[in-house]
Amino acid sequence: MQGQSIVRLEDTTKIYQQGKVEVRAVDGLSLNIGKGDFAALCGPSGSGKTTVLNLIGGLDFPTSGKVFLEDQDLTALSRSQISVIRRDRIGFVFQAYNLIPVLTAYENAEFVLKLQGVSKQECRDRVMAILNEVGLEGLENRRPDEMSGGQQQRVSIARAIVTRPAIVLADEPTANVDSTTADTLLDIMQQLNKDYNITFFFSTHDQRVMDRAHRLISLLDGKIETDEVRR
Amino acid sequence: MKLGSMAWRNLWRRKRRTLITAISIGFGVMLAVTFTGSGDYWYTNMINAGATMGLGHITIEPHGYNQTPALDKRLLNAGQIRKHVLTMPGVSNAIVRIMGQAMFASASKTIGGMFLAVDPAQESPDQNLLLRSLIQGQLFPGADGRGIVVGSKMAEKLNLRIGKKLVYTTTDVSGEIVSEIARVTGIFKTGVSEVDGALVLLPINSVRAILHYDDEDATLVAVTVNDQRYAERIRDKIAAAVGNPLREVLTWKQTQTELAGIITMDKSGNYITQVLIGLLIAAGILNTLLMSVLERTREFGVMMAVGMSPATLFKLVLVESFWLALIGLAVGIVITAPWYAYLHYVGLDFSGAIGKDYSAGGVLVDPIFRIRLYKESIIAILTGVFSLTLLSGIYPAWRAGRTPPVESLKAM
Repeated sequence: MQGQSIVRLEDTTKIYQQGKVEVRAVDGLSLNIGKGDFAALCGPSGSGKTTVLNLIGGLDFPTSGKVFLEDQDLTALSRSQISVIRRDRIGFVFQAYNLIPVLTAYENAEFVLKLQGVSKQECRDRVMAILNEVGLEGLENRRPDEMSGGQQQRVSIARAIVTRPAIVLADEPTANVDSTTADTLLDIMQQLNKDYNITFFFSTHDQRVMDRAHRLISLLDGKIETDEVRR
Repeated sequence: MKLGSMAWRNLWRRKRRTLITAISIGFGVMLAVTFTGSGDYWYTNMINAGATMGLGHITIEPHGYNQTPALDKRLLNAGQIRKHVLTMPGVSNAIVRIMGQAMFASASKTIGGMFLAVDPAQESPDQNLLLRSLIQGQLFPGADGRGIVVGSKMAEKLNLRIGKKLVYTTTDVSGEIVSEIARVTGIFKTGVSEVDGALVLLPINSVRAILHYDDEDATLVAVTVNDQRYAERIRDKIAAAVGNPLREVLTWKQTQTELAGIITMDKSGNYITQVLIGLLIAAGILNTLLMSVLERTREFGVMMAVGMSPATLFKLVLVESFWLALIGLAVGIVITAPWYAYLHYVGLDFSGAIGKDYSAGGVLVDPIFRIRLYKESIIAILTGVFSLTLLSGIYPAWRAGRTPPVESLKAM
């Protein structure tokens, strides 16, 4: 863990109701993610990886316990306040890219900046810079259905980091791409982590991601099984 | 990327569906134009035709005459009133007349009926349906003041022809029975059997003489206006200008209650039909927008995950329905314009089905189905269809912003 804490989970539990059965997806979890971390959350399916990411990202609320992002208690915020936090402080990279199909690569990357009300010129400067950074120069006018999976995931990464968030939450970002593309995407994210000290937190099954992570947290049945810091 | 531009692109993701919905909105415009246009045309025609049957759009008459018409109720200085009213804005004409009941006897038979005493100098065919409907002879060609123009059915019943004599008996200003002889100078046929069988035209000066009225006296001043829709507003102005406790100023709705009732009932039926059609079309639009929202649940989840607020998402879907409304109106105008032009200028001839002499509320109805639209009706249709489409978008828009992103992201 590096420097100050970006994310802090305190005795967090998330229970889902599946019919009449109670599923304890996260079970009394406490966790700190530091600024500039390149950390990965691994574990078998159903171990609670995505639920933890959703709780940190303010997409879901814990049944008990607290979730802090930059010392702000997300469990105490309203839906609209959380949506502002997500817009300004969190970047998301999804397994299925989840780009907006009617927007070009440029517009997808620009989307959150527009929600923030950033000026047109500043949007242009920042989006073009970030698209160059992720290797998409010349493809800015393509729509998602005109790009490969790898290219789409690059746009997704660009969209996640263009707002200079406190943390990027990446849910299985390499699951839908071939190994060469996966390596390239990881190179990009690692470089961004190194150059701009952006915090990345992955949930993954992919050994390549685990190998590159500076911190590897293993989950089992909603609890931390191991927490290994590699540097 | 502006919300409007994004909504526009979203709309064209399913071109066929958008076009079908736009066409259904356009069809709604066409139906609304047809129903409203037929109302605007028929009601105006019937009201204007009714106004030329004696009483005008507005009638100035002695107080109480409308409830119990009797010739002892006189409108004094009717000529002066007429001159004043003719100077008022919105008034196209004002005519002094005497209307009353009488018995009409020929050599063979006697029947009851109504007379309308008119001044040939003030009358013209466009202001008087009976003159417009003359089929034989003319209006009082001689100067002897003994002319009479009768309806075709009355002529038939009394066995009258041009030049035949007729005696009419009525009561004068004092309630005394008075009689006069007249010679048939013309026969009219309006097609309305109550009019053709019971109404006659007489010269006003002769009638004044036998009723013992003064030169300026009459029972009514029939006022016609340029646009019947403003009759009540003009009535109020006339009442303010010439009204007094001895006079009443009434609109056609008060003097021709049967016609007013028919129009009110028809309008109500027309509105109900239009509301039902509107609801059917709104249900179609709602279905389209709801489907388009439900199939994008995951996409909306992503938008909210990256920071779009539920309120902005609500706006996005609402802007989509705004565009749909605009496209629908454009389609509506394109498909309705030739339909409107045909019905306005040519019309559909229903005389084979209802006959040429079809009347309602004592007024002859044109058997050609035509439409016309007032500016207010055009604005009402466009606003109504536009609002209905926007309203249909509210529930899908609300639903889009309501689903928590974590649930939306799970959607396939």
